[in-house]
Amino acid sequence: MNIISAGMVFTRGSGIGSFENALHEGWRIPGEVEYSKSNKSFAYQFDQTTIRDKAVLKKMRRADKLSKMAVAAASEALGNSGIDDIRGKNIGIITATALGAQVTTFSFLDDIIEYGESSVSPTTFSNSVHNAAASYISMVLGIRGPVMTVTRFFFSFQSALQLAQSWLNESRCEFILVGAVEQYGDVLAYIQDTKLNASPDGRILPFNLNPAYQVPGEGSVFFLVSNKDTDTALCNIEDVYLDTYEKESEKPDVNIIDTDGLLKDESVYAESLSPDIPTAAYSPVFGSMMSGSAFNCLAGALMLRNRMLYASPVQDNPHGLNIVDRTVSRDIELIRCIRYNCYENKAVICLRKKQ
Amino acid sequence: MGTEGVQDLARIRKTLKELLVKDLSLEDITPEEIKDDEVLFGEGLGLDSLDAVEIVVILQRNFGLDVKDMENRKDIFYSIDSLARYVFESRKDSVSDG
Repeated sequence: MNIISAGMVFTRGSGIGSFENALHEGWRIPGEVEYSKSNKSFAYQFDQTTIRDKAVLKKMRRADKLSKMAVAAASEALGNSGIDDIRGKNIGIITATALGAQVTTFSFLDDIIEYGESSVSPTTFSNSVHNAAASYISMVLGIRGPVMTVTRFFFSFQSALQLAQSWLNESRCEFILVGAVEQYGDVLAYIQDTKLNASPDGRILPFNLNPAYQVPGEGSVFFLVSNKDTDTALCNIEDVYLDTYEKESEKPDVNIIDTDGLLKDESVYAESLSPDIPTAAYSPVFGSMMSGSAFNCLAGALMLRNRMLYASPVQDNPHGLNIVDRTVSRDIELIRCIRYNCYENKAVICLRKKQ
Repeated sequence: MGTEGVQDLARIRKTLKELLVKDLSLEDITPEEIKDDEVLFGEGLGLDSLDAVEIVVILQRNFGLDVKDMENRKDIFYSIDSLARYVFESRKDSVSDG
């Protein structure tokens, strides 16, 4: 399937342009958040005021931040597609998320404790259900095709891509908006800081591997995918391997690894790397998110479209890996985006230059 | 109604306007811009049925009032003024009952 277009929101703003700028500019220190009276941590938070499409916002005044981020990204993806009129086009929506509306869910539970069951807000409840973000995309953009939310810790985005491919292959949809969304919250920050290694200086060190440091992030990336091709399509998603052995194929030009400190020890990534293939990692630009693979996948798609190899934003390299250390023009054919989960299962997204 | 009552009613109106803007996430409008007699639903402020349920929650949380029969008490939800009078009268009743 082809990536026809994309849209995104993240810590440095809204839109693909903001992400391209960030890839050029490199690492920037994240903000500090006080998540409890005595604890502070770094976090890559999204500023909702950067959402440019006010017409979209007007249609979702009751939505929580998670849904607003997802709709803003999906709306941009559809807007960049060149499809002027979606009437008569069968478009599906698949939203991937590891933790979904956890912030709103905790707010709902807090309200039950504070006010009792009879005085909790129905709006908070409706926003706390997992399919809320996908439903908002459907309502705001007027999409009438199938809508689904895939929740899974580390491989939700890869699972969503596989589902999208099967919907396209069985002609259930002509186009699919498939993407990921995660939201930062105090509870998440507390858990990540307690169970994992909090970065002492706000830097994720993607090539350090062990110990691995995390900085929570939030944002959303959406792709419009289709088996059709268009002049402006970014690239082709050739294969998505998930919990299965990867087919032996030609050597990629670049490996993008999803190291972001959400595994305490990321040494397992070394198994998938080769000294003669450059490796890149972009998590220091957007933060640690279990569905962060979508952001690295977008970086890969932009590299293929722009014929540009983007330098890894943080380049501490104690193991002497062959890393992408400079931004250079390069005609790239094939990129592997690699993610491991805590059971050391591997997922790979293979991106190929549009033919 | 005495001076104290008038002042109390004005305070309730102000609080209700602030709560509505905040809890109903009303955009492009400030509490000061909501008129006391502005129709809340449909044409006026443009609220809908889900907002009505949220207003019931607002009354419960902030004024300790339980609107049990929403269907037959639509008059309460007509405007800020009608809501404020309902809050004012209910408080007065509870004080005199006590």
